[in-house]
Amino acid sequence: MASVTEPDSTESRHAIQRRLDRARDFVEDTEPEALAVVVVGSVSLLAAFLGFLLSSSLTILPFSVFLATSGYGWVRHQELTARALTLTMTASTILILGLITVFIFVEAWPTVTYESTTVFGVSVPGLRLFLETKWDAASPPIRYSMVPMIHGTVMVTLIATAVAGPLGVAAALFLSEIAPVPVRELVKPGVEILAGIPSIVYGFIGFTILSPWASDQFDLVGQGTYLFVGIVVGLMALPTVVSVAEDALNSVPESMKSGSLALGTTDWQTMTSITLPAAFSGVSAAVLLGVGRAIGETMAATVMLRNNPRIPEPLYNVFYGYETLTSLIAANYGEATGLQMNALFVAGVILFVTVLFISIGSQMIEARMKRKLGGSE
Amino acid sequence: MASATENSVVRDRTTGTKTVAAVAVGLSAVLFALGLAALFGVVSITDPIAGLPSVSINGLLLTALGVAVVSFGVGSRLEFVETEPLPSAGLIAGLAFSGIWFAVAGLVGSQMLGLGTAGSLALALVTGAGVFAVTVVPREDVGSTLPAGALSLLAGVAFLTGLVGPGWAWEPAGLRATFSAGLTIPAVTLFTSLLTGWSSAKAYGGFGARGRHLGAYVLVYLNALSIVAVLFVLVAFTVLKGLPGLINGVTFGSGVGPSNTINLFGLSYTIVWPVNWPFVMNGVALLNDVNGVLPAIVGTFWLVVGAVLFAVPLGVGAAVFLTEYAERGRFTQIVEIATNGLWSTPSIVFGLFGFAFLVPRFGGQKSLLSGMITLGFMLLPLVVITSREAMLAVPDEYRDASAALGVTKWETVRSVVIPAALPGVVTGIILGVGRIAGETAPILLTMAGGTFVPGSQTADVVGGFTFTTSPPFVANPELMQATAALPYQLYALISAGVGLSGNVGSAGQFKWATALVLLVVVLSFYAVGIVTRYYFRRKLHQ
Repeated sequence: MASVTEPDSTESRHAIQRRLDRARDFVEDTEPEALAVVVVGSVSLLAAFLGFLLSSSLTILPFSVFLATSGYGWVRHQELTARALTLTMTASTILILGLITVFIFVEAWPTVTYESTTVFGVSVPGLRLFLETKWDAASPPIRYSMVPMIHGTVMVTLIATAVAGPLGVAAALFLSEIAPVPVRELVKPGVEILAGIPSIVYGFIGFTILSPWASDQFDLVGQGTYLFVGIVVGLMALPTVVSVAEDALNSVPESMKSGSLALGTTDWQTMTSITLPAAFSGVSAAVLLGVGRAIGETMAATVMLRNNPRIPEPLYNVFYGYETLTSLIAANYGEATGLQMNALFVAGVILFVTVLFISIGSQMIEARMKRKLGGSE
Repeated sequence: MASATENSVVRDRTTGTKTVAAVAVGLSAVLFALGLAALFGVVSITDPIAGLPSVSINGLLLTALGVAVVSFGVGSRLEFVETEPLPSAGLIAGLAFSGIWFAVAGLVGSQMLGLGTAGSLALALVTGAGVFAVTVVPREDVGSTLPAGALSLLAGVAFLTGLVGPGWAWEPAGLRATFSAGLTIPAVTLFTSLLTGWSSAKAYGGFGARGRHLGAYVLVYLNALSIVAVLFVLVAFTVLKGLPGLINGVTFGSGVGPSNTINLFGLSYTIVWPVNWPFVMNGVALLNDVNGVLPAIVGTFWLVVGAVLFAVPLGVGAAVFLTEYAERGRFTQIVEIATNGLWSTPSIVFGLFGFAFLVPRFGGQKSLLSGMITLGFMLLPLVVITSREAMLAVPDEYRDASAALGVTKWETVRSVVIPAALPGVVTGIILGVGRIAGETAPILLTMAGGTFVPGSQTADVVGGFTFTTSPPFVANPELMQATAALPYQLYALISAGVGLSGNVGSAGQFKWATALVLLVVVLSFYAVGIVTRYYFRRKLHQ
């Protein structure tokens, strides 16, 4: 054990030493005045951020100090100020992700502790959220189970993926391998515009046209089906799948395709036996991202579903759509207070964590594919 | 060369049989169109076409198609037709066909023959296994035509004999839903025509590699075509429904429009619009002839301006640091993962965050400012990602050439990298703005607004700034209160449900016109973004 960790720790000690040396060099090389500007600027920005966190009305003071120092620094020491400012901007991007994580977790916590269950004498916070199936915010016993919403989200996502996955990959194949140039110039912006149509417009058309039509055709009680919400959401996730999958297919080196075609294969044989297998991980990352989009889609689900948290019978009944995680938040934020509002944050946490994992997963898959194809070139 | 000539001679001889396959492809297309027409209610299944009810026409065509496909396959197997089939149709086709036939046999067994669960399951399993064997074991010409043709025949005979006729309905136990003939017949027709279309396109190509190529291309082209068609139908439908409400009461002529007075630094200037367009120039008021959505349009405009002012400097700055200053390593990797993670975070989560973080800090009520910043948070990752891509695409030669002149790093960035990357950055921003302009979920929790907003509530952000003596010294009540925005207003109109007509003349017209205005606003951002990208790309390739 020790022999393994020792070189590691000396190495990291060296790295730290190098960093320190570099920092000292930097401080020695820089003019004292410029250094002072950067220090005052960062301290005042930090103070402004703290003031904002504490909702102090005095936040404006350190913030104006920051603006003044950056203005001065911009005029006198542009090189260093630009570098410091861009670093600050990068840090704030990470900070925002951190803030989102912290704030929605903090807001969700009260409901998580409320829904604790004792297992073998140990109280597990939040377990009851997933063990029971009852959501009732009005009459005691008040329960905020997430199971009906998770079920709804899973149903919608499955149907949406069944729509967006195959159609999206086929469309990506078409765009990257098959379509003649003029056709591609026409279809590609079309797919992008499909992504541009606001989700509330999809929802509106779904609500006024599709839902009544479905209720009429299938002779349903009331309006709102997972089936049609899934189809609409799938249509909305389609452009994501198409554009990411197309990038993956395009990144397959031309030499591989030419090599196959030179053997006398048809275009389709080259696609199925060379291009698609080589781009497989990228294409699956595209589908995964589409799944992420479908999970997070809110407005179409909210206006097309029944907004009544329960589980349909039987479980696979796609003709009765009740609630998804997203629509729960959008439909209940108005009258929710206290624990119920915190319960909406629990739904937000589930969404956030799931989609973040999907995003990171697909990024890792894409990175792996890039490494693999990069190596074979 | 010699073999090519021979091939063309052989092809000439088989033209007659190929016509059969071509006719089958055409028939499939006709059936596909008929199915679509019936599904969208253009033709009812009982409507007569050429003297026969359309369900019988469907049945006849399906039967003919089934016979054609099967006989082509069998003819090819018996070597009447010259083709180049592979030894097997392949596992994928086998699995697909056996899955389809498993479902068909199961449904027929349980619903039509009255077998119990065990009986119909057994029938389904036997059929599925049989079809799998028929698809995979014999040569490709039989394997890829027989299952498709038989399905087409079965459907055709069922429609023709009235086994599944206009009065047919199936109510699965426990689902509380009915499959009526009006939906099932077109759906079955569509599905079967897809299968036979694929199969006969394969036959037309003479099976083998060429046949597979053709069969797949038919489906892929159809898919691309339907995506474009869906887009076209969606947009055209919204335009058709929204246009009457949108152009209601539009008049042209000098001086007919409302007048706007602009006050800047004590100077005032009055513009009288030469056009009166009530829907986009009015709010909602009792005395208006035509009610409109002006406050929502102005609100959306300010939301976008605020979000851009917040996100663009931050995002471009971060991109500059990441591409020009930071060493590629763990830090840039983390930032990359963080921005991509932010980009795929659901919009409603941003709304929740704004509700928990921004609303309490901006006076404890929903406000335009919190809406702006929430949307800014959403826009930020996209700006970072697209700006980074654009800056990475700037060739290193540019940087080296500039550095060789002895200027500093920042000078290089400012006068070489940023100008070269500008087209990409601008395109990214425009497309991102199009996305956030149509977002409803984040402003639902941070800004909201009203269902019907009077014209007097139009946000006047520029005129709202006042200076105060207590911290924070600057106040703008317009920023601190909620205002209307197009996407939220459409949501509010939908969820308000019936009983709207008291407020506006025709609620339906008002809603569709609002949807159209929103669509036009958002899609014009997209159109501008896409056109800019094409323009710059063409310029780059010249």
